[in-house]
Amino acid sequence: MRLSRRRVLKSLAATGAAAASPGVFMPALAQTGPLKIGILAPRTGIAASAGISGLAATEWAVEKFNAGGGIAGRKIQLVVEEETSPKDTIERFQKLVQQEKVECVMGIVSTGVGLALGPVVEEARALTIYWDGTTQDGVDEKLLNPKYLFRSTDNECEAVMSSLLAIKHWKGQFKRIAGINPDYSYGRNNMAAFIALLKRFDIEHEVVTEQWPKVGTMELTSHVAALKAANPDLIFSSLLFADLPVFMKQAHAADLTKGTKLVFPAAGWQHTLMKKDFTPEGMIFGHNTLYFDNPQATPMQKEFVAWYAEKQKDYPNWEADRAYFAIASYKEAVEKASKAKSGQWPGVDDVIGAMHGLSVESLGGKGGWRKDNIADQTFVQGFSTHNNKYDFVTLDPAKIETMYSADLQKPPGAKFWDWLKTAQFKI
Amino acid sequence: MRGATAMIVAAGVVALGLVPVLAPPFYANLLIPFFGYAIALLGFNLLFGYTGLLSFGHAMFLGLGAYGAAVMAGENGIKSFEVVLLGVALAGALVALPIGLLCVRFIGIFFGMLTLAFGMLTHAILFKFYHLTGGDSGMRVPRMNILGLEFQAYNKIELLAGPFYYYCLGLLVLCGLVMWRIVHSPFGLHLRALSNNAQKAEYLGVRVYQFRLAAFVISAIYGAIGGAILGFRIGLADPEIVHWTHSGHLVFMTVLGGFSSFLGPIAGALALTLLQDQLQSITPYWRFILGAVLAAVVIFLPRGLAGIAGTGAALAKRRAAA
Repeated sequence: MRLSRRRVLKSLAATGAAAASPGVFMPALAQTGPLKIGILAPRTGIAASAGISGLAATEWAVEKFNAGGGIAGRKIQLVVEEETSPKDTIERFQKLVQQEKVECVMGIVSTGVGLALGPVVEEARALTIYWDGTTQDGVDEKLLNPKYLFRSTDNECEAVMSSLLAIKHWKGQFKRIAGINPDYSYGRNNMAAFIALLKRFDIEHEVVTEQWPKVGTMELTSHVAALKAANPDLIFSSLLFADLPVFMKQAHAADLTKGTKLVFPAAGWQHTLMKKDFTPEGMIFGHNTLYFDNPQATPMQKEFVAWYAEKQKDYPNWEADRAYFAIASYKEAVEKASKAKSGQWPGVDDVIGAMHGLSVESLGGKGGWRKDNIADQTFVQGFSTHNNKYDFVTLDPAKIETMYSADLQKPPGAKFWDWLKTAQFKI
Repeated sequence: MRGATAMIVAAGVVALGLVPVLAPPFYANLLIPFFGYAIALLGFNLLFGYTGLLSFGHAMFLGLGAYGAAVMAGENGIKSFEVVLLGVALAGALVALPIGLLCVRFIGIFFGMLTLAFGMLTHAILFKFYHLTGGDSGMRVPRMNILGLEFQAYNKIELLAGPFYYYCLGLLVLCGLVMWRIVHSPFGLHLRALSNNAQKAEYLGVRVYQFRLAAFVISAIYGAIGGAILGFRIGLADPEIVHWTHSGHLVFMTVLGGFSSFLGPIAGALALTLLQDQLQSITPYWRFILGAVLAAVVIFLPRGLAGIAGTGAALAKRRAAA
């Protein structure tokens, strides 16, 4: 056949048109063989402690589930990709869905990445369960009524709980309040929620300083000096990355921790780095959805913590619970949907339907999924103590508080800031 | 365009055109950012490779493109991507003009530091002005029409891997041809002359300041177009797009590909996109490897990947002559 320029151009146009046709790129839904689950988790950088804890819990769960036959008879195979910037994480997500053809994606710790990825998840129609990483700002605009995306509890749950504990235990003992929170929507919302609740409960207060260090920065000297100069009665801080222990060391060196009430709703992310040498007793310390040393822990949590300590030479933070909850609830939903289809492998819509209203026992306690694809989970906080066998602070066993997120997060459809003004809190 | 270069370009365009057909669909999606970067780097290299001005804040123009798309399409409901491209190109020029008026008075490290300062100033504005820019959460870049077509039958991934892929390929070819004309015009020759010896060029009548400013503005336009493509692809404009590390990413791509060649930065963008994809799947410590690659390129391949091709072609020519 003679190849003319016109013929070559026609062929190219035809292949281009074929490639541009809708449906050509739809991933095939494999229903036999191993069940591929994609994980997007940070393993390096400022959120590495969370990613490592979450990944370890997922691996532990997969080990256990596979030993029991997998999910609805299919052995689980994890495909792990790195969570980094929004742009790169979206690429990793697309690789998991398009290239690896995973049937569910789990992970995500960063708020910014979570917001960016949400619309992509919906466009890809790929069932995705976030471990963490959502907040109030931008959610209505970017993640409104998602179908395929299941999100963690709203991040302000822990701030609401800490605020309620501070009001319950320290009402009348503080007036001058200061804040040091990471300079992004999570930190700003936490501080705003604390102040909103002080107003709600008519707590007389004066904000003497608000410090907003850049996320993850280790240079906190000027912030510590500003806090010291403001002479607050109480400091509220949602620092949670590697900057938290650095801040605590510097605050301790500046005598800021003596006689000042401390409210740290998210300190549990760095709990093993919060050494007794510089972390005081009696601070409100949030462990979010998993407190590794909980005397009321279930046998499953105890087994996991022992396994984690043996394997990682460390103790897990709450991301382990979020990750376990994600995969355990997915397993439960798939098996429920499969049963409803007489043992046939369910489609993604069947699994989504089965997720709604589901309740599972997670590592840190009970958890479930609401109809608006938001998780409900169990939160643990308390007062720090040095009276333990570790070199870091834990919670005073006599003062551990547990709350379910139904009492800490807004109901479906409500606006967070409006809800804070009218909600009936149990304190 | 010379014969050999034209052949390379034609082969490259055909190869890229076949990616959605022959490669797994993920790779068509992966290459969208490559197109965005390649267009931005065409402009960046006009400034760096041809004019001798190394900007460490060039990501601010990519940010301008992405945020411009968010404002035009997201806030003002403009659905045509072509209108958005024109808008961000104009905005890029308008923003680059006053910045360039100040920056191009300086060369070397001073120019680099000034552009870095403007880049980080832009980052701070985007990060701190929550109510205007969404702060760290950024602004949503909605899906837009291309060539007046909505492609409603396609979901976003299909749109990106199909029609939008070919659209970006066409845009890269168009921007490449325009840039080729620019660098091979008397204007381009003036830029090369002032890059080699500004004093001598000025003595010969080259209006050094004006020409540097023009190169700066043109590079900003290319950056804004590239940024709009990145924004469309991600669906979000966030402050990290203008961070200095992202500017460093542009420098890395240019050095990797070779800034002394017209096609070098495009090759660098392609190589880094594919390399990063592979490394990210292998190890979480992929940045270390990228750092080592950059060090190796600077030490052993100062002319980048394009230099290897150039050396190979020269050797072949010499052998043929012998």
